[in-house]
Amino acid sequence: MVICMFRLSCKSMMFRVISKGRVKSPWIFHLNTGSCNGCDIEIVAAFAPRYDLERFGCLLVGSPRHADVLLVTGPVTRQMLPRLIRVYEQIPEPKVVVAVGTCASSGSPFLGSEMVEGPVDRIIPVDVYVIGCPPRPEAIVKGVVTAVKSKFR
Amino acid sequence: MTAERDVEREVEVEYTRLRIPFGPIHPALKEPVLLRVSVRGEEVVDVDMALGHVHRGIELLAEGRNLIQTLYLIERICGICSHSHTTCFIQALEEIGGITPSKRALYLRTLIFEMERIHSHLLLLGVIAYEIGFDTLFMFTWHVREKILDLFEKITGNRIHHAMNTIGGVRWDLTPRMVEEIDAYMREVEKSVKYIHNVFMDGTVEKRVCGLGVLSYDDAVKLCVVGPTARGSGVDIDVRRDHPYAAYDELKRDFSVVVERGCDVYARTEVRILEIFESINIIRAILDRLPDGPIRPKENVFRLMRGIPEGEAISLVEAPRGELLYFVKTDGSGGLKRLKVRTPTFSNLIGLKPMLIGCEIADVPVIVASIDPCLSCTNRLIVIDQERGESNVIDVDSLRHRVRRRWMRQ
Amino acid sequence: MDAAVAFITSFPLVLVVSLLFEGIDRKIHARMQKRIGPPIIQPFYDLIKLFNKERIIPVTASTRVFEIMPMIAAAASILGASILLSNTLSGLGMIGDLILVMYLLAMSSIALMVGGLASGNPYAAIGFSRKMSMMIAYEIPMFIAIISVAFGPPAVLTIDRVIKFQISTRLPLAVSSLSMASAAATLLLCIPAAASVVPFDIPEAKTEIIYGFLIEYGGPYLALAKIAKAVSNFTLTLLVSVVFLYIPSLLGEEALINLGISLSICLAVSLLIMFATITVPRTIFARLKIGQAFKFYWMLPLALSILSIILSVIGL
Repeated sequence: MVICMFRLSCKSMMFRVISKGRVKSPWIFHLNTGSCNGCDIEIVAAFAPRYDLERFGCLLVGSPRHADVLLVTGPVTRQMLPRLIRVYEQIPEPKVVVAVGTCASSGSPFLGSEMVEGPVDRIIPVDVYVIGCPPRPEAIVKGVVTAVKSKFR
Repeated sequence: MTAERDVEREVEVEYTRLRIPFGPIHPALKEPVLLRVSVRGEEVVDVDMALGHVHRGIELLAEGRNLIQTLYLIERICGICSHSHTTCFIQALEEIGGITPSKRALYLRTLIFEMERIHSHLLLLGVIAYEIGFDTLFMFTWHVREKILDLFEKITGNRIHHAMNTIGGVRWDLTPRMVEEIDAYMREVEKSVKYIHNVFMDGTVEKRVCGLGVLSYDDAVKLCVVGPTARGSGVDIDVRRDHPYAAYDELKRDFSVVVERGCDVYARTEVRILEIFESINIIRAILDRLPDGPIRPKENVFRLMRGIPEGEAISLVEAPRGELLYFVKTDGSGGLKRLKVRTPTFSNLIGLKPMLIGCEIADVPVIVASIDPCLSCTNRLIVIDQERGESNVIDVDSLRHRVRRRWMRQ
Repeated sequence: MDAAVAFITSFPLVLVVSLLFEGIDRKIHARMQKRIGPPIIQPFYDLIKLFNKERIIPVTASTRVFEIMPMIAAAASILGASILLSNTLSGLGMIGDLILVMYLLAMSSIALMVGGLASGNPYAAIGFSRKMSMMIAYEIPMFIAIISVAFGPPAVLTIDRVIKFQISTRLPLAVSSLSMASAAATLLLCIPAAASVVPFDIPEAKTEIIYGFLIEYGGPYLALAKIAKAVSNFTLTLLVSVVFLYIPSLLGEEALINLGISLSICLAVSLLIMFATITVPRTIFARLKIGQAFKFYWMLPLALSILSIILSVIGL
């Protein structure tokens, strides 16, 4: 019994340590699927000195293999559709997807275009939507932190 | 032939404007364009470009919407030069409808225009610094840029898409307190940009940007490049001076066109830095001479929209990246028959090939960044269906039908 | 302290200290860029996360090589660091000399390169060729500088003898003679390239070739690669601080008695060296191109190292 309890507590502690590590170091891969650049520059602005996402341990990585969080901007265009799926598959588990901007969340002004394959959640599962055109960097920071906390904890 | 093939390795460099990661990237500013770069060792021997990753069919969408809806749609063509797009579009509409905006409205349009130029150029300087691995300079430029964004927020309520223009004028006015604030901010920005200029003349940066990506004067003229890319190669063109619009006619004496004859990445960077100073001069002149009056007509904007007759017009502005051209054809009942946009990056991208051939792989990102490509602007020109791996061109009418069908469905 | 005990205790010590060093480096880097920066223990969080991620092996990779190389890299660099640290820790003779440490360092980076190449990614191939040429550029001056220690006043290569020599002269080696000063300078100049930080991060340039040979590594493999890099950076700085700038030698024989104090002084010195040779360059420089970096290393550090060996042979 005691041993069993001990094991259980060990396990839960391990689990807590792991989830702490995951929450504290979300590495971000940013994919532009036909955005107008507005969201993209706001994401980069979130890494710039005023908002500094790195204080939460976030890093902007260049390879999906290193990433935990996928930030998708833009209403998925036809040419970017296979690439979006491929990038999503290349990110190792566990991962979260954050749709940044109204285009990515609902397709907004581009809805109805022949070239747009609809909002992101039609193609891959999305965990957090950050609405705004473009969302402020604070909102993006909040979105990333919320996504990581809700999924990795 | 086969022996030669063996020597050459084909490497696909998916350039993403950062990187970041732009990333950067890059990492940082990421815009998808596929550059197929053939290299021998580290040297680039051939370049091919694949565009259309950001093609959203905006021109077609615009034909199904009314003018006011289109105004907000074309603002979403590009997040960096959104004000240039709307100004260009509105100018064409005003020409068709015979509407003359008030002096104050024109001055305010010009003010936002120049602020946007400063913001865009600072952004690009940051990206260039990032591409050459100089993170600190990137951080510093983007820190300065935040000040301009603050001003945007104070004047228009938005950081990126300002939604400033409306038919016959602008939507937001300046208060006397704002004028003082803009003046104070401009002083700060000028000081910081001077510092950035110094850093760009520093040894390590110079090593990475001097003598690279050479586009000779003849090539620049032949390939019809525009904007700072042309001015960096010694071509003296600027829409603001050559075909004045908005309030530039009255501000002619307050700025000069910056032309550099270096033809390389450094020259193009230098043009942009010096243009920031010119823009600050223009803003100061505007604040000095801001005329009084209404900022827009009293009539409802929808009535104005319906009053625009059938007709067509071409409009030109000097966007931060160069000459932006709109062809607008209205149908007389508040809608559009045809919209055609020719963005500066489309002209400039052709210039990339002579720049890139013969350079090293390490130089590709910084050279591509040096023309300041805005691919979300460029990618609206292709009508290609890529299902089943074939690319066959659909004619515009059938596409239009399909769009309508889909629009109804949703 | 017993030599074997010292050797075993130095394993975890090396890991903790080198990751802390990386955290401090990141924090200072961020502060210099007007940012707040990540917490100092950020590298630990990163590692915990990475070790618990999915393992993905690309289809193009040759699986065995791809899997095993990060382990070899991490093991080699940890072993190198432990040899160095346990010599400082125990004050007794330990197996291993400077050449072995240098060899383990080189092996760690070569293992990573080979593993990256095995992934079959074209970027990794470019990274491999770039790292190869960079190694030719910086390893030669580094080795010559280390060998000049054997020709110079200490006339030994075993680490504990070098330490004891410094204690007996009551002077750090770099200050004691002209030849050793130039050897130390060579090593300091080579550290940014060996640690591959800006301006010499050419093999893993993020905006050019997206981390080069690390591009396909993810999860636990990336964690091992990160450990290998952090530990080898720490080893390089510790090498300079122990061999050339052994400040505790000013205390004389007491340095061998109060080992704790002398160890902490050594670590402080190596932190300073890390600040000067890794943090500062990566903050204030832009990335060089491979040709420019090559030219730099074959001009200044090579000349300095040859100067040091000539001076030490003629006994200056």
